Amino acid sequence: MGQSILYGIISVVICVAFFTLVNHVFMDMQGLDYWYLFRK
Amino acid sequence: MGLVTKKNLFSILALGAMIGLLLLPIIMALPLHAAGEETPVADAVKKEGDQGEKVEKGRDVYYKTEGIVVGAPAPKTTDGPKDYPRYNFESRVLLWFANQQHLYYGSFVLAVPIFCMVIEFMGVMTKDKALAKRYDQLAYDFIKISLTAYSLTAILGGILIFTFLTLYPAFFGYLSSIFRPVMHIYALLFVAESGTLYIYYYGWDKMKEGFLKWIHLSMSVILNVIGTLLMMLANSWIGFMMSPAGVDEQGRFLGNIWHVIHTALWNPLNVHRILGNMAFGGGVVAAYAAYRFLASKTDEDRAHYDWMGYIAMALGVAFLIPLPFAGYWLMREVYAYRQQMGITLMGGLLAWLFIIQATMIGILFLSTNYYLWQAMGRMRGAEKYQRYIKYLVFLLACGFLVFITPHTMVMSPAELKAMGGQQHPVLGNYGVMSAKNGGINVIITTTVLSFVWYMRGNRVSTVSWAKFGNIFMGVFFACAYINIIWLAIYGYYIPANVRVGLSVPQVATTLSCLFFMFGLNSVMMRGAKQTGPIEWGKISVRSQYALIMLATAFTWMMGLMGYIRSSVRLFWHVNEIMRDNSPWAYTHTVGFAANMISFNVLFFWISILFVFWLGSLAAKKVPVEAKAGVPGRVPEPAGSH
Repeated sequence: MGQSILYGIISVVICVAFFTLVNHVFMDMQGLDYWYLFRK
Repeated sequence: MGLVTKKNLFSILALGAMIGLLLLPIIMALPLHAAGEETPVADAVKKEGDQGEKVEKGRDVYYKTEGIVVGAPAPKTTDGPKDYPRYNFESRVLLWFANQQHLYYGSFVLAVPIFCMVIEFMGVMTKDKALAKRYDQLAYDFIKISLTAYSLTAILGGILIFTFLTLYPAFFGYLSSIFRPVMHIYALLFVAESGTLYIYYYGWDKMKEGFLKWIHLSMSVILNVIGTLLMMLANSWIGFMMSPAGVDEQGRFLGNIWHVIHTALWNPLNVHRILGNMAFGGGVVAAYAAYRFLASKTDEDRAHYDWMGYIAMALGVAFLIPLPFAGYWLMREVYAYRQQMGITLMGGLLAWLFIIQATMIGILFLSTNYYLWQAMGRMRGAEKYQRYIKYLVFLLACGFLVFITPHTMVMSPAELKAMGGQQHPVLGNYGVMSAKNGGINVIITTTVLSFVWYMRGNRVSTVSWAKFGNIFMGVFFACAYINIIWLAIYGYYIPANVRVGLSVPQVATTLSCLFFMFGLNSVMMRGAKQTGPIEWGKISVRSQYALIMLATAFTWMMGLMGYIRSSVRLFWHVNEIMRDNSPWAYTHTVGFAANMISFNVLFFWISILFVFWLGSLAAKKVPVEAKAGVPGRVPEPAGSH
């Protein structure tokens, strides 16, 4: 059970990092700011 | 030995003849081209030299380059028997019918040889001999269906030309004066296509092994090159009608045939149409397999047609996935060419047709998912996913409802006043692209998930990191959904110029699921333990109706998008160059258009059933395989699914 939780946490960290990177890179490629609302 | 060498030599000659036929139109066109274009120019220059007269020049409406005027201006037509001879019927509707039927059949006969090429190649590469034979037989069955359809395509093309000549002589005269060399090349390429197709089909048995088989495969490549060129040439005519180039503002040809072919919308149309052909062709073949499945009398036949239906569906849906990107590129180029045309399409007169398109796309994906869930029912071990299907249904339903929601309602002035504005207070929030993109990406991600479950339905991973892999896949999909929905909501809180870019990371999320999860699944399934074979033929009857639904939806969508593409020209035969002065220079109501599309779809399906029936008359008996249900005995397609 503990192992599953550990695997789950690692997976969440990887996936969140990956999708955040995807969001940032693909908006940046278009010259747009993904973090617009957070900067406001 | 000598006989084998003679056969090799003959087949090499046949291949060489096909390549020669393919190149012949280009070789013949070169001197004609030079003579056709340089002579008037040379004459004009000579005139200038002799008499000091000014050579008339014009500026290309699109490329803005200067060129010497070669052709006559676009005719200014008037409503009457000279420019618009007619029967006691709307000519435009007759032309619409002829054009649509030709396009349906043309699309089918272009797509099927591509399937044949892929499946024949799979047959050559597969190590399992029995499976290789099945693939080869499948490819042969596909090309057999294509032959009768090919004749019908040519007949319908003839009907289309005659309809143009008799009902729109002024327009067709103008178009053919500009595209004269292209039309000759088109006709010659038909010779090449026919020759190649007949040698490819009739030479199948004689060339089924060894070196000859590779020659045969090469023939399929050439067949598809010719077919693609045919499509691209025809696309140049409609590209010219929508976004003319190579002519001046009066429509006078400026001598550069490449400019006339290579209009702004030519390549977007080429890419979109080739993908659309494949998706449509896959749907039609899947429906053929479904029909044969439903009519099967033996378990072996049912097993064969179940398998055929799966492969055709998988190929069709594989090409459906990139189709929206091609469509997006086409729309973007329309907007870039003429912003008003883009607005007419998606923000004005034709906007509601795009709502219908959204509905059809939703139906396509719902049918695909439903078929996959039914298909999982014939796999022992796939029951583990059964209890989660209801959540996928929920996701699909929500995504579908959001995706089809319109932004503006069709309403009367009284309703407009009651609502207090153009936008419905509730629904108006949902009809924006931010939300709709979220909806469709959720639908596509769910389809990817259904495919992944299908591919691992009857297997258990035996890799050492299987537990981590399974958890990672689950978390990846969950995070993908959350990211897509987050971006859809985020769009509401940022300005439009930033929001418009959010569709790209949304799509990237969906494609990440597609590529990475398919890849990860393939790696995890290496050496996997099978819990039971796929029991081909044991699929439910409902699933075959889902395949027929898929094919019908593809056909209807093709008719709809073709109508949209044609209507965007509004009252122009050639956009901003040659005006449509016929009595039918108006846009039909959405209801009329829908009825016409439905009639075209119905007519096509009745006629293609005739084609299928013809194909079954001379059907070769399919090699009988071992009965399904015996684990490990039933040969499975490559990649297992």
